[in-house]
Amino acid sequence: MSSAIDCSKLCPEWPCEQPSEFKNVWVVIEADESGLSEASLQMLTPGRRIADKLGEKLVGVLVGYRVSHLAEDVIKYGADEVIVVDSEALKTYYPRVYALTIVELARKYKPSVIFVAGTKRGREFAPYIANTLKAGITADCTDFDVDVESRDVLLIRPPFAAILLAYIKTPFRRPQIGTARPNVFPVPARDESRKGEIVFENVANISEGRMKLVSRRRVSRGEVGIEKAEVVASGGKGVGGPEGFKYLEELAEILGGTIGASRKAVDAGWISEDRQVGQTGKSVKPILYIAVGISGVAQHMIGVREATRIIAINIDPEAPILSQADYSVIGDYREVVPALIEELKALKEKGPEAVEEYIKWLREIEGKR
Amino acid sequence: MRIVVGIKWVPNTQAVRFDPETGTLIRKGVPSIVNPHDLPAVELSLRLRDEVGGEVIAISMAPPPAAKGLELVLGMGVDRAILVTDRVYAGADTLATSYVLAKTIQKINSEIGKVDLIVFGQETIDSTTAHIPAQVASWLELPYVYYIKEATVVDGGRVRVVRELEEYLEEYELELPAVLGVAIRAFKPRPVTLSMKLRSKIEKRLIVWTNDDLKLDPRCTGLRGSPTIVAKTIDMPEVPRRKEVFKPRDAREAARWIVAKMLEDDKLRELLYRSLWGVRG
Repeated sequence: MSSAIDCSKLCPEWPCEQPSEFKNVWVVIEADESGLSEASLQMLTPGRRIADKLGEKLVGVLVGYRVSHLAEDVIKYGADEVIVVDSEALKTYYPRVYALTIVELARKYKPSVIFVAGTKRGREFAPYIANTLKAGITADCTDFDVDVESRDVLLIRPPFAAILLAYIKTPFRRPQIGTARPNVFPVPARDESRKGEIVFENVANISEGRMKLVSRRRVSRGEVGIEKAEVVASGGKGVGGPEGFKYLEELAEILGGTIGASRKAVDAGWISEDRQVGQTGKSVKPILYIAVGISGVAQHMIGVREATRIIAINIDPEAPILSQADYSVIGDYREVVPALIEELKALKEKGPEAVEEYIKWLREIEGKR
Repeated sequence: MRIVVGIKWVPNTQAVRFDPETGTLIRKGVPSIVNPHDLPAVELSLRLRDEVGGEVIAISMAPPPAAKGLELVLGMGVDRAILVTDRVYAGADTLATSYVLAKTIQKINSEIGKVDLIVFGQETIDSTTAHIPAQVASWLELPYVYYIKEATVVDGGRVRVVRELEEYLEEYELELPAVLGVAIRAFKPRPVTLSMKLRSKIEKRLIVWTNDDLKLDPRCTGLRGSPTIVAKTIDMPEVPRRKEVFKPRDAREAARWIVAKMLEDDKLRELLYRSLWGVRG
């Protein structure tokens, strides 16, 4: 255990508290009319692991309006306990109201750890929680661990352009707060037989008098979300213009996937921002990621670490992507991608019987080289 | 209307390269730049000022070389800039940084004039946390909102904004003063002009504040005022990949090779069988 903190050495603006006063691992669970947020449920995966390592309880904190009926589900996904605040005051989301509700609960229960899914809302309200509690917060964690000796949680994140991995801890302050991007962790397996305690809390009326929601409308995206696609055909600077993405669309369609892009292609205005993969975009975990005209800088590659396989098509034999992909072809995508589409169409026509022929051909040319 | 806009002087992370010989990061000689995501925030601030009048003050907590970055935004038309610099601010995490920025804004508010709006870029390219706008709002107890794509001043006392979440477009009205986080790419920054740069030099529009001015308790700033500690850093572990590279004679051979490799690979064969023929591979 860490030794007692001498509060006279700390910033006098911080409350004087000992880490030993804090216990349990919290996961903030977002929910709305369509149910529990998948990204929040994903945070129960590292939450469960860290709670077990610390020998403490995993607590889901479910905050919203008409969300009480969802508490049982949070237990089934692995929580030992759920604290519910179900209030009309939370019907409309305001970052400060949401954050201060959790701050009030945290002041009462003193959790040792709070995990928040790095959804757009989560990234907005989590730093307000941390700052109001004068606690440390670490964003975009890719993993968590426990320092066995001090029992400090290690929050592991890639700072500095995703080239480094930093192990961060907050030994003098609790709670230890961390966020992770959606899809970094899987949703835990649901266990119908799991039982746990559900606690209902009322929080003194927190309202946002200085901000109001004027309108809210769903932006229809239509296509398969890039986060869930099994195949992502992604284009970068080397694609050269918006026309290139038409080839990628066709390729993705044959493989039952969708299209993605690098930051440079989005910056150039060739494709919409919601397609961006990488540190300032999304993390994806397809079975197959096809990187077309993407050089492979670290900021992009951090978003495809979970891809099962990567195929690269690049004209530059020096492109860093070649040493970070499974199968790379050096060539002009304007020729290679249409040829690949034709080849896949031909294979589809011929049926599974043709598979042997390809393998045989591969052995032949590999023998020659 | 007085608008404060936050600027971070960051290493140009796009220019950071690996040394393939040693497998380590080449950090020497990486040039610093104004965080590119701050420029849309500067642009929005200037547009609002041009619309309703007033002034834009850029602030940055950084070592002295960051003056260059502030000179750049002065060249865009920012009215004045304050570089907040002191050794006791070094090594700050986001909480300690936001503390100094919040205290700077309070000093502007009491000594220069009432601050109506505080604008930040969404995040920085070097640390990408997106903490600072919310943390500054927390110290100052102000309403705030992120991911702003549009903003207009209404009736002088409020700001109306449009922001984009994953699946929703939301419109909010905030009473001033308020804190805004501007979405990446939301506003195209205007160019720097030489005349603006010269004007700000001659009129000494860049001032420096140290802790002699802010008089903050050193226990609240820099490394000491930071709850988070970097225990260690390692190079990002490499993902194991097959790294097979093929130089084809023509596009047809390239296509055949890709398809053959997919059929040979258990994971991809399964996927191909499903997507082409709807059967298990």
